[in-house]
Parts: sequence; C-alpha cells; structure tokens
Amino acid sequence: MITPFQIACKNLQRKKARTLLTLVGIMLSTWVLVSLFGFNRGYENALNHDIDNMGYQLMVMAKGCPYEAATLMLQGGKGLRYMDETMVNDIVKEPEVDKTTPILMQAFFDPNKGESGGIAGYFGVDPTSYPAMKPFLRFRKGGWFNSDSAAEVVMGYEAAELEQREVGDMTMVPEKNVPLKVVGILERTGTQDDGTIFVPLKTLQKISETDKITTIGIKVKKDADIEKLENKLYQLKDVQVVSFSQVKQTIMKLIATARVMVLSIAIVAVLIAMVGVINTVLMSVLERKQEIGILKTMGAMPGDIFRLVWTETLIICAIGGIAGIGCALLFAKGTDILVRRILPYAPSGGLVNIDGKSILLTLAIIVSIGLLSGIYPAWQAGRVRPLDSVRSDG
Amino acid sequence: MLVGLSSLPVLAAIGCDLNDPERDVPRLFHESTSYKTSYVTISQRGGDPLLKKIEGRLGINNLALYAPINVPYTLYEIYRDKKKVGYIHGVNQKGQFGGIQVFIAQDLSGRIKTFYIQKITGKAAGKFRDAKFARKFVGLSLKDFDSYDPVSGKGSGKIAEIANPAPEMETDYFGILRGLKKDLILMDEFVFSMEHAQ
Repeated sequence: MITPFQIACKNLQRKKARTLLTLVGIMLSTWVLVSLFGFNRGYENALNHDIDNMGYQLMVMAKGCPYEAATLMLQGGKGLRYMDETMVNDIVKEPEVDKTTPILMQAFFDPNKGESGGIAGYFGVDPTSYPAMKPFLRFRKGGWFNSDSAAEVVMGYEAAELEQREVGDMTMVPEKNVPLKVVGILERTGTQDDGTIFVPLKTLQKISETDKITTIGIKVKKDADIEKLENKLYQLKDVQVVSFSQVKQTIMKLIATARVMVLSIAIVAVLIAMVGVINTVLMSVLERKQEIGILKTMGAMPGDIFRLVWTETLIICAIGGIAGIGCALLFAKGTDILVRRILPYAPSGGLVNIDGKSILLTLAIIVSIGLLSGIYPAWQAGRVRPLDSVRSDG
Repeated sequence: MLVGLSSLPVLAAIGCDLNDPERDVPRLFHESTSYKTSYVTISQRGGDPLLKKIEGRLGINNLALYAPINVPYTLYEIYRDKKKVGYIHGVNQKGQFGGIQVFIAQDLSGRIKTFYIQKITGKAAGKFRDAKFARKFVGLSLKDFDSYDPVSGKGSGKIAEIANPAPEMETDYFGILRGLKKDLILMDEFVFSMEHAQ
C-alpha cells in the first residue's frame, strides 16, 4: 500500500522545476543561517585562542603606551615611555597575580631597509618568566637564550625567513651595530610572534642604554577577580592597564555590527524561503483541488489531507535544509576567506566553525519555519469540499 | 589593537616583493607607465626537474633558505603605454648579518637596466646601496656569469672587474653576486627561455 510519504514525494515530483527552485531558496537561506551560527562560534573561539596565546591576560604599561606600537613604527622609538622594572615587585605581591613578566619593546632605525630606511623592532624578554608564560611556543630549531644577558636572539618564523637566518647565524642590531647570535627559531604560530625578534631583556637594556621596561605582562590566577586586580593596578602611578578581556569586548562590539547585518540578511533569506514554500505548496493544492475532492469522497478526513500536504512541506524543508548545511560545510573555507577580507580585524584560526549543535539548531529552525509556512496551504487543502472540487473545471 | 599590543611586528617575507611598487617601479624603470604583478613558482613551471636544473646552474644545493619549491616569486611586468618594455624581479639571499634583497630591472633581451639592493644589514651596508656600485651592473646579462663563479669568487670578465666597495663585508659582497646570478637564472627560466621557445 502506498504511504502518505510516498504520495507527497510523487506530488513534489510532478512540478520538478517549481520544487527545485523552492529547494534552492531554502538551501540558500539555510546556508546563510548555519554559516552565521558557525561564524558566531568560530570568531569568538579564534579570538579567545589569540588572547590565550598572548600568555597573559593583563598588560601594565606607562601611560600612553597603547599608542607606542604606532610610535615605534613612526618615530623609531623616540617617543617611547618607560617605567621602572621594580614595579614588577609591587605587582607580583597582589594575591590575584599568578605570574608576571617584564618586557622592553625597542625600535631601531635601519637606513639600509627600503628606499628611505625602516624600523627594526626588538622584544626584550626575561628568559625565565617569559617562556614560562608561553609554554605552547615550539622551536623549529634551537631553544631559548643561554643566559639572561647573552648576546643572543630567538626569532619568530617569519622574522627568520625575512632575515634568512638559521640557528648559529649572526644578526646585527641596526643603529647600534651590535652583533647577536641566533640561538632559536620558533615554529610558525600564525600570531604576531612569527614576526618578532626576541632578545634577553638585560641585553636589550644594555644595547638601548636603559634600565627600564615598557610593559609588564600579568597572568592572573585561575578564578581570580580580574576586575578587582585591574582597579588595584590603576592606583599605581603613571601607568595604565590593558585588559585583554576589554580588548576582546571592544573587538566583539566591532564585530557585532557585522553580525547584525548578516543576521538581517539571514532573516530576509528565511522569510523569502518561507514565502516560496507557501507559494509552492498552495499552488500545488489549488492545482490538485479535484484530486483532493476525490480523496475526500473516498473517505479521507480533513486531517488526512492536512497531514499529506504538511508532509510535502516537511520534505522540501528537510532536503533544502540538509543541502544548505552541506554547502555551508563544503564552502566553509571560502566563507572564511570572504569574512577575513571584509572584517577590520580577524584573529588567526578558523573563523567559521560549524559544529553539530549549529547544524541541529539550523535544521530545527528551517523545518519549524517550513512547517509553519505549510499550515495555511494544508488548512486550505483540508477544507476543500468534495462536491465543489468535482464540479469545478479543474 | 591586539596587533599593536602583542608585539612589535616585523614585515613578513613571502617571496621577495618591492616595498612600495607604486613608487619603486618608476624609479627602477624610468620609461614605465604601468606594471602588472604576477606570481611564479618553480612547482608551477616545472617542479622538481626545474629545481634541480636551477640548482645545477647556480652551483649550490639549496636555492635559498625558507624557499620551498612552491614559494611564489613576484614578477613585475613593465609597460610603456600598452607595450611591454621589461621586467623587475627580486630574490632573497643570505648575508652575514641578515637577508639581502637584490632586485634587477631588465629589458626584454635580459640586460640589466637598474640594479637595486632593497635590504642589507651590516656596518658598511650603505656602500653596497650606493648608486655608484649599482651603476656597475648596468648592461650586464646572465652571459657575463659564464666566466665568473660567485660561489668560489674566481673568474674573469666584467663581473670580476667590479670591485668590492666594502672589503670588511666580503661575505655580503659575494652574497650579492650570488643573489644577482640567482635572479638572472630565475628570470631566464621563468621568462626568457620560455619566450625564446615560443
């Protein structure tokens, strides 16, 4: 005996082009929706990963320092603001603090870089505390410095590539003409570490003729109140605190605009698909008025007809939804590239992370909306009067 | 903001590009009115056999550090109005204290029109970037390396006659010559030999 499901499938196959176009509409809206869910999840994960890769959650720097990176690039470090290294001792006493690491950023003018010279940046780090904060850094070759005042450098992968350096090679700090030996080259991380040249803090202080630092990286204890610590750190003289949770919030606020835009597009796409489903099923019902009438004369109840038409809606939505999810998974990398081009800041790692939860949620939304759209045509079909339909021209 | 705060960025090296092509192309190729950028890899143009051939012609085992077979080389095609008039191409070469970036502008026959060192590190590096030193390479072509080996530093001819302007940086001087030969060979394999074959 033929089942209602088989009847519904046969009905949909009658007008192949119309069914296909409706399917495409649902597929596209599902694609947009599941990609949006994937982006919401993926972007935050990637951003968290980037922030975790920093190794510390808070940075304390001399006032004005957030602009120092730009200053370094533009003025060769002449506008740098420094702070005393002793400040590390004050900070480490705070109960919320797990670890601290002092950092000195320095930039030197290299007249032999490009047409009119360029800036070479160096990152002075403490050989004990800095590697401990970044245990995930892996070496392609070599390792960290042999002592805290060694004339050595560790290079990020891209820095080594640019400078054509291998472990054992020499490098020279421009402007100061100080030779340093390459003792380690890091694996590619996909972060800013790739382009960084690390020098022992004391060595860089000696080269720069200063005993000060520019930044203190702070790793907070698990479950500690970061906000409370931030407020305490703000009391320190002439420093400012940069919290990566604040940075994350700022970036997420920037991205929120893009998310709202994409969500609006997704809603419009779903609404269009919904209208498409209503139109397709309603047309199909009107075209089959006589058939429905005959079914009723044979004993079919309004509920049976309703279920039959509703099954058609369910089939269209389920197939369209699954196809859309398939496309989203298949072209996730392409979506990733597109999103990267559009966004002002994109963290490293996958930006579109479509997981089982997003897939199920999307499918549930699409099928629910589809079934909702099918109510009116199914209701119309259910209330067809057998005599009226048989009398009509069809 | 993260970018600015995390660490000091150093420009990433992928292949060897002009820092500012809009400014550098007219400077290196005076009669140019426009240029097209294309990317060529050894894997695209001939794969392992081509790599072996290039290394054979260079006389060294490794073409360059951090330059796998699929590293894209940037090729600038130079146009005067709609007519192609030449090429600009650069290579990375290992120097004593850092990478050396050697660029050449060539006419359609492969002759050097302009020689430019975009980056070099060392106390006397400026001497290699001096216009006087660069002028000594004008008019040279790959043929001039037939009688001179930049690996051993032995030979005769026009290249052998070019004096090292910074004797204290001898490693870099030979690095520059090796870079130049590499640049000329790559251009020969990527462009000129293909044009001759056509």
